Amino acid sequence: MRVKIDGEHCTGHGRCAKYAPNVFILDDDGYNADRSNEIDVPAGEEENAKRGMKSCPERAITLVAE
Amino acid sequence: MNETRADMEADPEVAPEVLKARFGRDIARDFDLDDPMFNDRFDEVLTFMVNKCPISYSKAGTGYHLVNTNEQVRRVAQDWRTFSSAKGYMPNRPEGLPYLMPEESDPPMHTNWRHKLNPHMSPKVIATYEDVIRKDCNVLIDTFIEKGECEFISEFGALLPGWAFFKNVLGVPIDDLAMLVEGVEQGTFALPAEERPAHMARVFTYLDTHLRWRATQPKRGDVIDTILEGVIYDDGTEAPWDHKVSILVDLTFGGIATTTFVMSSAIHYLAMHPEVRQQLIDDPSLIENAIEEFSRVFPPVIALGRTCTRDVEVAGTEMKEGDFVMLTWGAASRDPRAMEEPEKIDIKRETILHSTFGVGPHRCIGSNLARLELTATIEEWLRRIPEFSVREGTAPVYVTGFLRSMRELQLVWPK
Repeated sequence: MRVKIDGEHCTGHGRCAKYAPNVFILDDDGYNADRSNEIDVPAGEEENAKRGMKSCPERAITLVAE
Repeated sequence: MNETRADMEADPEVAPEVLKARFGRDIARDFDLDDPMFNDRFDEVLTFMVNKCPISYSKAGTGYHLVNTNEQVRRVAQDWRTFSSAKGYMPNRPEGLPYLMPEESDPPMHTNWRHKLNPHMSPKVIATYEDVIRKDCNVLIDTFIEKGECEFISEFGALLPGWAFFKNVLGVPIDDLAMLVEGVEQGTFALPAEERPAHMARVFTYLDTHLRWRATQPKRGDVIDTILEGVIYDDGTEAPWDHKVSILVDLTFGGIATTTFVMSSAIHYLAMHPEVRQQLIDDPSLIENAIEEFSRVFPPVIALGRTCTRDVEVAGTEMKEGDFVMLTWGAASRDPRAMEEPEKIDIKRETILHSTFGVGPHRCIGSNLARLELTATIEEWLRRIPEFSVREGTAPVYVTGFLRSMRELQLVWPK
């Protein structure tokens, strides 16, 4: 599974890292550290990643590949 | 469900005379955030608006649009170029109220300040306040636990957020908290609205004096020093003093005027629902999710405004350059288009999508602190006072405008 973090729309709600701390890492400001990047979701973390994605009030995380 | 203005106009349930009969006014075309009816029938009105009125209109003062669905609220909130914050977030802003930075500014000015302030409010930094906040919960509970009763707002809910903010973030004594809470509350809800600036002026004066004093003191490396250090705007000018004071006012406003409502509403809900209380006592790992659900359904900030910088269409409604538009966070968080059974309060909800901390670049800078205060409160309260209820014959007292606040909550428990 691959997801992309929207660089403009992440505003540091931190919901993604709360539900999937092994997938989404926050920087020192509390924003997604991978803004504008695609990231590979480690095996076994797919459900957490989806939960984090769906909880993002900005819809800043999109699914690139299942 | 209606998706556009045209759907709404064609819906017999949204006909003006039907709304007048049901709500006492045409809430689709003549809504008013300050109407006492909205305060009394809060949940019913928000649910109706999000389902039936993707866009509603208020004739209060110079008038404003309200955007009510999850998707459209997000679109407008993220599009800061078209929907500017620089003319303020209050509808019919009273004369003489200075703008609050960075909330009432747009990028790049807004971005300059957020980059400076964000590190002070990040999850990592906020986590270091946990012990102090937890201890304060217990200090407050100690003052009333043996009485077997308390008035939750004045004895806990209005105090803890102020203590947490003053002690950890601002580093100022808590002695003046009551005066500031009063200033901020009156500055928000006082009617007629023309009285509000005078109340806010007291808050400005106090914080201006504090900032001036701190400028003469050795540096502490805290948020106040960061504000004093200032930023250089893109045009090369230094942020002026009044911007610095207004940042302190904005942070204080957010720090003391909002979290109290989620906290009080959560405690009220738990007083009324012993079975949910028991679930949280049996499995404290549910508390985190419960707090998100409580934040979703008990929003302290109902709606904040933007000003259109050009003509634009939203959900089939033409908006003109200069029009004022409110983003109804409270309605967007209960949108059946974006979540299942939004009217149901379910602490075990799998995914919780809400707009209580706003959407877009102006996302509440204190959201991490608010969540910590709520966690500490619910955990410590349930540990110390596992059984409690609302005093018989009483009910919470609310006040609502663009913010919602609880004024009174009488609780009792076995001594």
